[in-house]
Amino acid sequence: MLKRQEWLDLARKLDWTYSYVQEQDVFPEAMSGRPWLEHAAWQAWDEPYRTTFAEYVTGQHEKEGAIAAVRDAVGKVADFGRHDRGWLSALKLHGATLPLAEFAAVVGNLRAARFGRDSAWRTTAAFGALDELRHTQIPLAILHELVGWDPQFDWTHRLFHTNEWVAVAARHFVDELLLGANPIEFAIATNFVFETGFTNLQFVGLSAVAHDVGDRMFEKMVQSIQTDEARHAQIGGPVLRTLVEHDKAYAQYLVDKWFWRSWLFFAVVTGFAMDYLTPLKERKQSFREFVNEWIIEQFERMIHEYGLARPWYWAEFVKSTGYYHHLVYASAYTYRATVWFDFVLPGPEERAWLAEKYPESWPELDPVWTRLSERWQASGPGVEWFTHGVTPVGFCSLCQLVLCGGTPAENSARVVERDGRRFIFCSDPCAWIFEREPERYAKHLTIVERILAGEAPANLIELVRDYFGLTEATWGKDARGGRYPFLVNSPGGTAE
Amino acid sequence: MTRDELVPLYGFVQGDTLGLLVLVRTTDTVAQLAAVLQEAATMRIAPSADVFVRHRHARLEPTLTVAAAGLTALDRVELVREANA
Repeated sequence: MLKRQEWLDLARKLDWTYSYVQEQDVFPEAMSGRPWLEHAAWQAWDEPYRTTFAEYVTGQHEKEGAIAAVRDAVGKVADFGRHDRGWLSALKLHGATLPLAEFAAVVGNLRAARFGRDSAWRTTAAFGALDELRHTQIPLAILHELVGWDPQFDWTHRLFHTNEWVAVAARHFVDELLLGANPIEFAIATNFVFETGFTNLQFVGLSAVAHDVGDRMFEKMVQSIQTDEARHAQIGGPVLRTLVEHDKAYAQYLVDKWFWRSWLFFAVVTGFAMDYLTPLKERKQSFREFVNEWIIEQFERMIHEYGLARPWYWAEFVKSTGYYHHLVYASAYTYRATVWFDFVLPGPEERAWLAEKYPESWPELDPVWTRLSERWQASGPGVEWFTHGVTPVGFCSLCQLVLCGGTPAENSARVVERDGRRFIFCSDPCAWIFEREPERYAKHLTIVERILAGEAPANLIELVRDYFGLTEATWGKDARGGRYPFLVNSPGGTAE
Repeated sequence: MTRDELVPLYGFVQGDTLGLLVLVRTTDTVAQLAAVLQEAATMRIAPSADVFVRHRHARLEPTLTVAAAGLTALDRVELVREANA
């Protein structure tokens, strides 16, 4: 009987020379991506896991069993009910942004399973598609049980089906990253940049945070997902290597483009959780410390190994690690009814911790929280509207996120005229990405443009209810309704 | 004579955390625009008397109308503190 290593390549390397059709007809550039190269250029494609189908099925079965066991033990409503309200908001945020994005990744992987240029690549992508289907189902299954207890968890499934502003931004990102990309761009954007650069490590960090918080269910879920991500993310490296050999400028462009786009989303979702929604006593490191340790060092080393340079906006990116997620969090706090999860008002101890972790940026950010705390003190608890904005906000014409680039002293947004139309970009990298492929992005309308075109209401309450699909039961609030111990010594303040 | 029309502008208040979409009239003064911007950001930024409106790096005279100041739909304007000018 043949040993594993003796038959494995026979089962993975299945390409043959076509005699009745042209190779370009089997793998047209429109579907397989550019540059179009003959198979000889791709046939050395390989990745370290080299999983067989039997190994895949056995391994996934064991992982499913482990998830089910943890769910039976600590995945019930009563278990979630013991968590801090801030942490529950982190769950709602991750829960909603994760599963349907993973479902879109099923499509991207399936396209690679058909149009990837080497059979081993296609095999690994087929496993990737199965992985992503699992990553769709796990959070939907676990969090569905909580919907009757807390209707905000309904947004785990609902978010991507709405026109809520985070959903609009998430679809803009995910549709291009996962649904629209050809296998070459998908491998660089999703497997190499997003998964290897961000989410694989993000899941390591998040599972550690969940462990510290005592959320064994979330810890187990992201650990289990991470083991899949670590495997199928390996698709990216060998594709990038071949791309660098044949079109280095295009490889650099894809890395630069997708690092920035991934960073913005990553900063919002994980930055909120690590610096604001995780209870202070459970925080081991700040979001920026995590980014420095797990993202920056690793990513710089990786791109250097492939012969690429750091993205041209690197200095702007590094600076934004001290500002961007803070600016979005403070902005979203004051527009919390426009999202499906609640926000924590950072108190003196949290603000002292943030000042220590962000010494160069926090002095600019702290006055906003002083102002908000003063307004809570003036209004007393339960008066949400007194710390809530009513004026519509601007959204970036590329990333579709709120205009939170730069610093409080100097917001980096800029208006650009193109073909008689005005676009606004939150940052230079967003403007640059748009200008490289305007035909891809120009027809998309921001929330502001939808309001001005009469497609969406300008009145905030109508926008939130009728266009975003939120209700009083589901829209975001202050997690404690303004009842914080640190507001107690004030005219309107009341301890919980 | 300027027609009285609504003009949406992207407004950025120095010290604030995001860009806002404010609606003014062509016949409003720049001082009124400054008041609109302060009110829109008031839950995050305390209003101040020592501010001015800037557009394309130039300080706008507060008595000018929005039309006379040359502001058109979806321009970017900033509310800047004198101390930071």
